[in-house]
Amino acid sequence: MRKQRLSPGIIIGFIVILVWCLLPVAWIISLSFKSVAETTTGSPQFLPKAWTLQNYRDILTNGDFLDALRNSFGIAIIATVLAVIFATFAAYAIARLEFRGKRMVLSLALAIAMFPVVALISPLFDLWRRLHLFNTWPGLIIPYMSFTLPLAIWTLSAFFREIPWEMEQAAQVDGATSWQAFRKVIVPLAAPGVFTAAILTFFFAWNEFALAISLTSTTAARTVPAQMAFFVGPDPFNPPYSQLATAAVIVTIPVIVIVLLFQRRIVAGLTSGAVKG
Amino acid sequence: MHVPRRSRGVTRFPGGRSVRRLSATFAALATAAALLSACSSSGKTTLVWYINPDTGGQAVIAKSCSTDQYTIKTQVLPTDAGQQRVQLARRLAAGDSGIDLMSIDPAYTAEFAAANFVVPVPQSVEAQLPHAFKGAVTASTWNNHLVVAPFWSNVQALWYRKSFAQKAGLDMSKPVTWDQIITAAADHGGTVGVQANKYEGYVVWINALVMGAGGNIVTNPGAGVNANIDINSQAGVTAANIINKLAHSKAAEPDLSVSNEGTVLAPFATSAGAFQVNWTFIYQNYSSDKTTLNDMGWAMYPESVAGKPSRPPYGGIGIGVSSTSNHIADDWKAVECITSPQNQGQYAVSSGNMPSSAAGYQFPALQKAYPASLLQLFQKSVNAAGPRPLSPYWSDISGAIQSTWHPADSVTSSTPASSQTFIQQVLEGKKLL
Amino acid sequence: MAENRLGQKLVAPAVILMLLVAGYPMFQAIYLSLYRYRLTTPGDRSFVGLSNYRVALTDSLFWRDTWNTVVIMVVTVAIELVIGFVFAMVMHRIMIARGLMRTAILIPYGIVTVVSAFAWQFAFSLNNGWVNSWFHWLPWIGPETNWFGDHWHAMFAIMASEIWKTTPFMSLLLLAGLSQVSEDMLEAAQVDGATWWQRLYKVILPNMRAAIMVAVLFRALDAFRIFDNIYIMTSGAQNTESSSFLTYRQTIQQMQLGMGSALSVLLFLAVLLIAFLIVRLFRVDLASARGEAR
Repeated sequence: MRKQRLSPGIIIGFIVILVWCLLPVAWIISLSFKSVAETTTGSPQFLPKAWTLQNYRDILTNGDFLDALRNSFGIAIIATVLAVIFATFAAYAIARLEFRGKRMVLSLALAIAMFPVVALISPLFDLWRRLHLFNTWPGLIIPYMSFTLPLAIWTLSAFFREIPWEMEQAAQVDGATSWQAFRKVIVPLAAPGVFTAAILTFFFAWNEFALAISLTSTTAARTVPAQMAFFVGPDPFNPPYSQLATAAVIVTIPVIVIVLLFQRRIVAGLTSGAVKG
Repeated sequence: MHVPRRSRGVTRFPGGRSVRRLSATFAALATAAALLSACSSSGKTTLVWYINPDTGGQAVIAKSCSTDQYTIKTQVLPTDAGQQRVQLARRLAAGDSGIDLMSIDPAYTAEFAAANFVVPVPQSVEAQLPHAFKGAVTASTWNNHLVVAPFWSNVQALWYRKSFAQKAGLDMSKPVTWDQIITAAADHGGTVGVQANKYEGYVVWINALVMGAGGNIVTNPGAGVNANIDINSQAGVTAANIINKLAHSKAAEPDLSVSNEGTVLAPFATSAGAFQVNWTFIYQNYSSDKTTLNDMGWAMYPESVAGKPSRPPYGGIGIGVSSTSNHIADDWKAVECITSPQNQGQYAVSSGNMPSSAAGYQFPALQKAYPASLLQLFQKSVNAAGPRPLSPYWSDISGAIQSTWHPADSVTSSTPASSQTFIQQVLEGKKLL
Repeated sequence: MAENRLGQKLVAPAVILMLLVAGYPMFQAIYLSLYRYRLTTPGDRSFVGLSNYRVALTDSLFWRDTWNTVVIMVVTVAIELVIGFVFAMVMHRIMIARGLMRTAILIPYGIVTVVSAFAWQFAFSLNNGWVNSWFHWLPWIGPETNWFGDHWHAMFAIMASEIWKTTPFMSLLLLAGLSQVSEDMLEAAQVDGATWWQRLYKVILPNMRAAIMVAVLFRALDAFRIFDNIYIMTSGAQNTESSSFLTYRQTIQQMQLGMGSALSVLLFLAVLLIAFLIVRLFRVDLASARGEAR
């Protein structure tokens, strides 16, 4: 039974997977087109009774949400860039050099990857309020960087190990300077790995919630997940289901775009090194 | 994956330059981050007012109370009073000077005052404030000092469907008891809407039931951790029995264990709608639903014990001035403006949250927007209201009550005793909450 | 040795950052855990020795939340492993629309946990959800089923959102393991007359041990730290708190920095213990499984 073409079981499995993955997404999208009045009185059917764009108009003119969106993008991008730079150095060293303490670095990375983020809330809050980092961008960027470093280091060192480094020497033999050899030969080979690490790091920072609600208190630094948890609609005692769904859709758009563009890379990055034993 | 490593000379690594370049990039990004996160400031003073969420009424007042000297800017806090406390307290404990004014809920007024997070109201300012109802003054006082300026005073009333009360043969012109309305609703296919989710609103209900039966949850709340917890009393048992009766009756709404001020609104407007206890502002929620509005009656909060006047729950907002504010003199001027009778009245019209002073009720537009009998009921209720104990440890006490009294259908006559022990252990740090 | 020094220099920034954000605060937590320290009553701060640990370890709430966390971890990982394996088999065999499938499978993985929690909270909602109206024909679900009204229903809803979001990740890791199983071996087994189940048990699973181990370890540690879904969906109501949520609540909501720190230390130790047990159970060296050490 070598890779049978399309047995009914596989087709059913295929449909099940699609429904599994996409139904809840379809649900929040549908919910985002229901009016607030409709959800307040109760609207258990899947599709809106009357489609409306009002939620999108409200959310996209909601200053707090836009601030949170800006914070989310800013914090996630800065944390990603910095973490990937640091991780690139470390991964290069791990993949290519022999040095004392290599095992220690890997153990440390592993320990951080397993670290319960919530356990840091208490000491970090106390530390940040003394250092005036509470409710600031760096107050989130710094922990995000360190929590994404392990993943980035793993992904990158797995990629770096696959790079045929001898090509660099071959280029030098052909007369290229070491910088040229690095730029023309190694960078193109390493770039996909760096890019993958960046995507995974970005997902982490974009998703993070526990630190975001604990180390911020206003829209000066609050990110979208935290802002959604505090989201208040026109009626303080009824959660604005449809507006929350709209915010949820908006914050999911970047994720979907990245997935659409880079699905192959993400899968490679997620599984890199996971199965070699 | 085994890359041949013939030469491991470091000379090949184009290190120095790119490392420098990268660290320069890092520095630039860090600076950019610092700049982006820093607040911009202009010449004129900005007073930052942290407000509880509303329909925009406080933002309007902030604008109208801004002067040539200062601009008042609002920042919205989370819906839940517990969350508001957390947000504010963490910033105040961090010595943040970015908070000037705060809309403070009675649940944590004492805690903030005891921690010196707020400046007590100076005599000179107090003299300028409108004369507030007794319940409002009590809820705003710590250590014999007024610590927040009463802004609005909310109170709960009993709302009922006239047609239902008629069907059940209940005379709503006289005070009714919890027993009566629960029985009436259960017998005639109606429900009684209450707030029994695991949150402060549930403790508001419990406190009202205990006080209505002549008791107090805490007798000397000023003593902090050493306060006397008196929930284990005849009054506590009466309260537990009422909750038990409703929770096991057909009059309970299906989502009783997660019910709040919002969840009870919709059932009230259905054919099963009968009674709900809720705050003043819900009158506005039915303004577009004429069927319900025309059939809606209101009465004094139900009695825990027949013949003993009820103590309706008190809620509201007082305006506090942060002790870490850099503009305290301006803050007090702003407080005087915010709490003026005119603004109290206007705010009541826009939000449904009633004034904290009789003067506020004189606002013409308010008298036009609400039936006179309703405004009278509100004022009568505020004067009779039973505020929650003013303890700096109220959040712990309230939390301990929530965890021992929730869900409502687990409450029995032995709940007061077990919750009393638990509250004491929590205050002594011997139990987790 | 130059290479040694360069290597150390290159890893230094990452190491310093990781130590700074995790190492130092952990010591700070150990120190704070010896005090009774409440943020809004700083005057009452006092040294209490190991009392916070004693209170926590003898407290029924602590053990109830630990139990909840373990239940969530075991149930979700077990279900994810089964469903994830089925998904991986489908993805392994399917020849058409692989891009579509990959995209679909990555959406739950990439979606913000808070969004997933909201989506499921609304789906299970009494007045606004489709779960009751679609599944009311099942004997244990009715149109009035209040999913957040009691402990097991609420736990079910929380676990559903967790399983939905993380099964795809599990299936990707398993798919990678599956692709390492040699087709030749499978064919040989088939020629020898092995049934489908025998092939699964004798050939596929043993050859995927490392992949399963990594998937279980990572998912288990992740599930043990569950926080976001609980915060959004129940905020701990109906006794659905996890250990992380308890720690958060002590620290942030009750501002008990001393007790919160003690719980943080205990949480960290629990995670170490679980990692140790799983690695022991599967008898695979993690570093070699990740292909890092040589």
